[in-house]
Amino acid sequence: MECYSEQTIALAVDGELAADDSRRLRDHLATCGRCRALVDALRAENRVLSESLHELPDEAASPAGFSRPRRSWVRSDLARTVAVLTLGLIISIWFDELSIPAALEWLNPFSLSGGTNLFFNLSYYFAHGGTAMLTEYAAAVGGFFLLSLLGGALLLGSRSRLRQSGSRLLIVLLVLSLPSLALERRNGEFVTVPASETVDDTLLATGNTVRVEGVVNGDLLAFGQTVEVRGTVKGDLVSFAKRTVVSGTVEGSIYSFSQSLDLDGQLRHSIYGWVQSLRVDDRGHVGDGIVVGAGDVSLEGEVKRSVNIFSGNVDVSGPIGRDLTMAGGTLTLTNTSRVGGSLSARVHQLKDVHISDGATIAGKRDIQMQVTKSQFTRPRFYFHQAIWFAAAMLVGWLGLVLFPVFFRAATQAVGLGWRSLGLGVGVLAGVPVVMVVAALTLVGIPVSLMLFAVYLAAIYLAKVWVGAFLGQLLLRPAGATKGDWLLGLLVGLLLLTIVGFIPYLGGLVRLGVVCLGLGAFAAQLYRASRPAITT
Amino acid sequence: MDAKRNMAKGPQPREGGTRHIEGLDLESVIERARGQDAEALGEIYRRYARRVFGLSCYMLDSRESAEDATSEVFLKLQRSIESYDGSIPFLRWLLRVAGNQCIDALRRRQRGRRVIVEGEDAAAVIETASSEPSPLGAVISTEERAQVRDTIARLPENYRVPLVLRYYGELSYDEIAQQLDLERNHVAALIFRAKQELRRRLAPRSK
Repeated sequence: MECYSEQTIALAVDGELAADDSRRLRDHLATCGRCRALVDALRAENRVLSESLHELPDEAASPAGFSRPRRSWVRSDLARTVAVLTLGLIISIWFDELSIPAALEWLNPFSLSGGTNLFFNLSYYFAHGGTAMLTEYAAAVGGFFLLSLLGGALLLGSRSRLRQSGSRLLIVLLVLSLPSLALERRNGEFVTVPASETVDDTLLATGNTVRVEGVVNGDLLAFGQTVEVRGTVKGDLVSFAKRTVVSGTVEGSIYSFSQSLDLDGQLRHSIYGWVQSLRVDDRGHVGDGIVVGAGDVSLEGEVKRSVNIFSGNVDVSGPIGRDLTMAGGTLTLTNTSRVGGSLSARVHQLKDVHISDGATIAGKRDIQMQVTKSQFTRPRFYFHQAIWFAAAMLVGWLGLVLFPVFFRAATQAVGLGWRSLGLGVGVLAGVPVVMVVAALTLVGIPVSLMLFAVYLAAIYLAKVWVGAFLGQLLLRPAGATKGDWLLGLLVGLLLLTIVGFIPYLGGLVRLGVVCLGLGAFAAQLYRASRPAITT
Repeated sequence: MDAKRNMAKGPQPREGGTRHIEGLDLESVIERARGQDAEALGEIYRRYARRVFGLSCYMLDSRESAEDATSEVFLKLQRSIESYDGSIPFLRWLLRVAGNQCIDALRRRQRGRRVIVEGEDAAAVIETASSEPSPLGAVISTEERAQVRDTIARLPENYRVPLVLRYYGELSYDEIAQQLDLERNHVAALIFRAKQELRRRLAPRSK
């Protein structure tokens, strides 16, 4: 009798052959050694297939959202630590070797001056409520994040098509970076626009010193240790520098992230910035207003409209056209100062406000003490907290609906404890450096901006994940439904909010929460980016 | 009857209940889960999440989608467990549900098209009886098993999906055919070809 085909025998081995066919095959096998051998081989093959498939590696075997941290992390962690240290070493050598980051030497955490600068700046900001401000700033970006979430969900249609999102993102980035092709770009140790020159486009200048003596018809985007405008910038000045000095004319506004910003010249519009020290010299003139967060502010020149300052110390000796609003440490108005509108100040103690007899204030004087105790007695405080709370819950709920697995997994990743914390500290400190470096390249500017948005969003979301984790830890829900997660979030957030109001400890806890959450986010991003099966 | 027994016991403290449920046999757990008992559902999750996730991992292409599918299966379980009638083993039923979930996910990605399209030679029986021993036949080491797994993960979808449903999900050809909306003999052909392809890709290994 003729032998059976391999496919028929395979069917039989799989138990899928019809009963009478099966009987006939059995009869045949009794006489045919070749077919028997094939049956044995196919059975062995099935066994190997089945065994191989069932033996999933531990790492890939459990859904990340619910997995416990592996016990055997010591070796891999050691390897990662070594890798990170090595990378750090390479980067530090790169920082030392490369000429471009000379412009950013003051940010270089590896150099002595950079390290101390960074340390002092950070400690300064934290000492003056920097963490709270960071969180508030992040909260403001919460709305933007929600829009991006919805937009992203719409753009992608469904999560299952996320695979293509990389290419989509690239397209979006390319489109966004198109305007940057119209930029004129200059880069070097010492970048100047001499007095005789006129730049017609927007100028992107990176260098140790950037000096404009001529005319820039577009905007000036400058990154450097020192940025000086002695000539004219017809558009806006965007500076990211250790020291920014404007002694010429800026016809637009100034957007500055600098250690110090000095205005001796003419500014048609406003100053928006985050600086350690802001000085408007008596020759300086601001056509519109000032909105800044700063360590020290000294206003000697004229400001036509309102001034809003969040600052450690404010000295005003020149005229301000409209209102002066400040919150922070001390406020001094000298004899020569004049406020065309109202003065409102929020300080710790009444004696922190010095108003000389010669100072004139046209409107009301509203000086409030920021006594920590008093905020609990004001109904507005509770209203504010309720809104803050509701917003956080809403964001948590939306995130859970749109990205259920990612949110649950990020929550669970908080449980990695010190590893999340360490990673979070790294991300918190490292991302700004990456952003600056990315911004040095043309295509990198939108990347940098997006990174910034994600960074702020993640800082905001950090408390959501940590809150949810904390709640789960306390409640230990049996099922893993959305309701359980949200209940956990409610309890956890409530607890974090209350702890956050404890003096000193609260700030530390908030910082810890931000780091933990960022670390969990980063860990989960890393996990999610890996393919499903790793062997 | 079981429900009555549960009621007679009344509510139990959470911790005690969890410890208690771990020792229960599957039928009682399922019975309790049918009554929407959260602990019982949690226990089913504890026992089978790994397996469901494994199936999703093999069928879908990213860890993220596999996690999505797994959580969907267990979220829907609260409702779908009512339709389990005990006629087949629970695990097989659960893997069938999981398989469906994954196929839905694959289908969604392909905007509603069928996951595997029937070709012209759909059920063509390959009559090449080979007497060569399969390269997979021998007893193999852990690393080699990892390599087999890896190679399966890289197979094209139309081979990978039926192969995984058969040898990991342990579904019958009929069940696979039903899930994939194909003829039974097409499924047989796909599985057969998948194994041939697997042998071909793994062949250098054995030499």
